Amino acid sequence: MPECDRIRKQLSYYAVGGVRGGAHARVERHLASCAACRAELTALERTGALVTSVGPVPAPPGTWEAIRDQILDRPRQALPRPARRSWRVAVGVAALLILALAVAFVRPFRAPQPPIAVAVELEADDTDTPATIESHLSAQWSAPLADEAAVGLRLSELGGS
Amino acid sequence: MSRDLSDLVDLVARARAGDAGAFEALFRSLQAGIYSFIRGQVREAELAADLTQQTFVRAWESLPRLRQEGAFVGWLHRIASNLVRDEVKSGHARLEVAASDVLGDPPGVDLAPGPEEQVVSQGLRTAVWEALDGLPAEQRSAVIMHHMEGMSVTEIAQAMKCRPGTVMSRLARAREALRRKLSSYVEDSDAGM
Repeated sequence: MPECDRIRKQLSYYAVGGVRGGAHARVERHLASCAACRAELTALERTGALVTSVGPVPAPPGTWEAIRDQILDRPRQALPRPARRSWRVAVGVAALLILALAVAFVRPFRAPQPPIAVAVELEADDTDTPATIESHLSAQWSAPLADEAAVGLRLSELGGS
Repeated sequence: MSRDLSDLVDLVARARAGDAGAFEALFRSLQAGIYSFIRGQVREAELAADLTQQTFVRAWESLPRLRQEGAFVGWLHRIASNLVRDEVKSGHARLEVAASDVLGDPPGVDLAPGPEEQVVSQGLRTAVWEALDGLPAEQRSAVIMHHMEGMSVTEIAQAMKCRPGTVMSRLARAREALRRKLSSYVEDSDAGM
């Protein structure tokens, strides 16, 4: 009887194909010699067959027609998610474009006059390294105080005079 | 419900390419299962019908994003599950269902039994749905998909986003509970053999 109790606990799993390997073999051996457990397995199998025999409930008539009307009215290109994504991408690209145009348009007007004067002074005082000075002057163009080397040249020139 | 996988894959591929006729064939093949699956989770018949419509409309819209045609059935059930969940969250539906609600005639429904259905008595049908009603929702869904829709354990696992072993466990526990609830019908069928 204890063996029957152990097997009964596995029978519903066995009935749905959920018992494998050694456990499967044990259940089969027991069923071969136990009529009561065989009857219980039969009842479980018939229960499954009863539920299957009932079958699904069909959707109400007209369901397809309603679906067809909706899918024909709503082409896939108009999907909410991709549409929203496309909109976001378009806005992002437009924003970047405007930013790039703004930088390109504004930049020439940011060219200050004083660096030109500095350039003239530096060229006059440091004739040994014109290329170095020219590169530092280029850096000064957009940020006059950012180029420490050029500022140093200017300060040394002022200190020397 | 028996489905030829190659036919299904072909229909899904054609529907994905925009063939509404192929999509209609898919609907004809799967509508009863999806409707029953939803009726197993929401109380109102009209709501279940509406969610069935929404499930197929959303499937049509999203088909281009489905990578594996063979996964269509499980994917369709996931869409249905998500719609049911959203409906329940919105407070418009309850997850529990009564057998009388499932079997009651929704507006405009002709439940005249077909030749196959005549074999199954209304009493048995009611008893089975009442027994299903007493199961936890996940077991009920698994039973409907397996026994009423003919879905494999793998397909159910895809639909329920769980492991096949979990599906087996739900089916086994449900089978035990249903065996107790339907014992009189089980014994009747025993006597008839």
